[in-house]
Amino acid sequence: MSVLDFNGTQVQLNEEGFLVEPSIWTEELAAFLALKEEGLEQLTEDHWSVIRFIRGHFLENDSAPMVRAMCKTTGVPLKRIYELFPSGPAKGACKLAGLPKPDGCV
Amino acid sequence: MNPLLAGVMLATIWCAGALVVLYMRTKAFGVRQLHSRPAGDARAGVRYAFTQGMAPQAKESVRMNPLSYLAGMLYHTGIFAGLALLGLKLSGLGTPRVLGIVALLGATGGIALLGKRMFKAHLRGISCPDDFVSNLLATGFAALAGITCFLPSFASLWLIETIALLIYAPLGKIRHCLFFFPTRYHFGAFFGRRGVLPPTA
Amino acid sequence: MSDVDELETRLEALTEADFQRGLEVFRSKLKEAEAAFLNACVHCGLCAESCHYYRMDPVLENIPAAKLETIAAVFKRHFTTMGKVAPGLVGARSMDKDMARAWVDAVFGRCSLCGRCSLNCTVGILLPRLFRAARAALGAMGLTPPDLQATVDTALKHGNNMAITREDWVETVQWIEEELQMETGDPEARLPLDKHGAKILFTVNPREPKFFPLSLQASAKVFWAAKEDWTLTADHGWDLTNYGLFNCKDEEAGLITQNLVDAMARLGCETLVIGECGHGFASARWEGEEWLKQGFPFKVMSILELMDEYLRDGRIKVDPAKHPKKVTLHDPCNLVRHGGICEAQRRVLRASAADFVEMTPNREHNFCCGGGGGQLAMGRYKARRLNSGGMKAQQIRDTAAEVVVTPCHNCVDQLGELNKEYKLKVQIKTVAEIVADALVP
Repeated sequence: MSVLDFNGTQVQLNEEGFLVEPSIWTEELAAFLALKEEGLEQLTEDHWSVIRFIRGHFLENDSAPMVRAMCKTTGVPLKRIYELFPSGPAKGACKLAGLPKPDGCV
Repeated sequence: MNPLLAGVMLATIWCAGALVVLYMRTKAFGVRQLHSRPAGDARAGVRYAFTQGMAPQAKESVRMNPLSYLAGMLYHTGIFAGLALLGLKLSGLGTPRVLGIVALLGATGGIALLGKRMFKAHLRGISCPDDFVSNLLATGFAALAGITCFLPSFASLWLIETIALLIYAPLGKIRHCLFFFPTRYHFGAFFGRRGVLPPTA
Repeated sequence: MSDVDELETRLEALTEADFQRGLEVFRSKLKEAEAAFLNACVHCGLCAESCHYYRMDPVLENIPAAKLETIAAVFKRHFTTMGKVAPGLVGARSMDKDMARAWVDAVFGRCSLCGRCSLNCTVGILLPRLFRAARAALGAMGLTPPDLQATVDTALKHGNNMAITREDWVETVQWIEEELQMETGDPEARLPLDKHGAKILFTVNPREPKFFPLSLQASAKVFWAAKEDWTLTADHGWDLTNYGLFNCKDEEAGLITQNLVDAMARLGCETLVIGECGHGFASARWEGEEWLKQGFPFKVMSILELMDEYLRDGRIKVDPAKHPKKVTLHDPCNLVRHGGICEAQRRVLRASAADFVEMTPNREHNFCCGGGGGQLAMGRYKARRLNSGGMKAQQIRDTAAEVVVTPCHNCVDQLGELNKEYKLKVQIKTVAEIVADALVP
């Protein structure tokens, strides 16, 4: 468990850098996590469309979407997803969207 | 009959009997029935385990710790020399000095390993009193066997120490003199069956 | 509540009955081999450097013999005469809260069950066997790390360990089929679903459809090139993973294995082919029949063996010039040291890549990447996992390779994290991805 200082708010991350409280997520926090956890200085519109889609899917279904759905809905090609999020869709994109860590080999 | 020799005989019977009991107890856990199809030959793995698998170049642990390996080899050779001397002594065939030298060298190996166990924190950390008792008894046995070849007056002390060693052996870790063999067997059978050993390259 | 607090809460709640149940399960996992092992350790300590945990963090607790002694102490106290008569002399300890905590730390927290210590043991003790028995005992005491257990529970509930719905799986397969058709320019290129009587049922790791479908596409492309008669299944049995190998609850592992057996029966396939996954291969090829206590009426193969056969028989052709970059290979413990698949991937890589270089050490002596044994599913030990992977990071650096190939999605994931943590700047690929890119007509 670690704690990040985000504009004076203490944000708790679990051992793997995922939000302990997914409900505290905001877009500002996502941008902050992108820098701190993924080393991404600037999030592009493509980043945001993927992140917003994942977030929306999570709020509706309580799970991470398939990468198929990310590509289909956002129009971002598959190979581009891996370029946008160097840690991949799970440990990169889902983490920035404030999801808990998915089970399995990820 | 010399009462000490009789004591050695009785202690040998105890040692052998107790080891048999220990072995039967492990056998009582039962054999694991396997259903998957072998990829390699379990017997080839066992043969490897008892031959090349024991060579120093087969193990990184040995390559990284050559001095410990040398001390260990010396120690075990010395103990076997001591046992040979004991056999000769019990048969009334005398105690050849060349074996005595081997036993004494073995004792130095034992002392070196004892020192390592005492002074290296990590090794001390994985040790229990039994490790020290077992070493002292076996090292003492090899040392006194060697000394007796040169100073026959130490024979009684050697035999008393032999009795102590034989009585203690099955109670502590010296039981590995027996369990080394089934362990090595199961090791070889496991990796042999899966086609991992003998190595392909 | 953090995982560590959660563990303490569970330890506090343990009763004498829990300890007894744990001991019974522990005892039930031991056969004569394990009983011999427990009598054979001489505490020589030469195993220390064989362990990647110890290499990267040389503390007492990381020595394999120390982990084993934690387990053996309890065995001696409860199951041996000397342990009962003279516990202090032989280092015997009763199972209690503190020992349970020590067991958890040793067998979940400091071991990836890679078995490298077995090969370097002076005597030849198969330490992972005993650590597995201990994990099973801890499971019976309710001490399996919750995230590891959750992965197993998800597989039991949903038929795959990422809770992917049938609809999502099928849609992804169809999408990848379209992608494959575009890639190959062949409108007949297929990812067949539920093709009855196909020779091969191919199984994948759920992280492929969920997040990394390019490796599925690569495998499919190889099958397409080889004109293989193969199929996937839409229903349970498409997931090759089995985290029952890691929580060591054999009953649960058996239930997950049954999905594969049922799919083979449903489709009438001859051979079950396991995609690139170390633990999945060990589970299906070696452990599944033991969990179910009966042999399978079909053959189990790794896709590596199959690709090796394709090349040998001329069913596919590859041009190594398509991979000019220096490539190295990481050997997954469950596939190589514990799986016996050693040379197939090397022959395939030598054929498909121009500049292939071995890591040192390699094959059965290879170091674990640190992600094995379910470590990737146990968040509690992430820092140790990444630290222990330093050994692998150094091995990779020493090769100066630009691409690290490994036939295991679990290893791919850990290597990806090591890549970031140790700034290795390498690409990480599966063997099928290398082969698929090297295919020539």
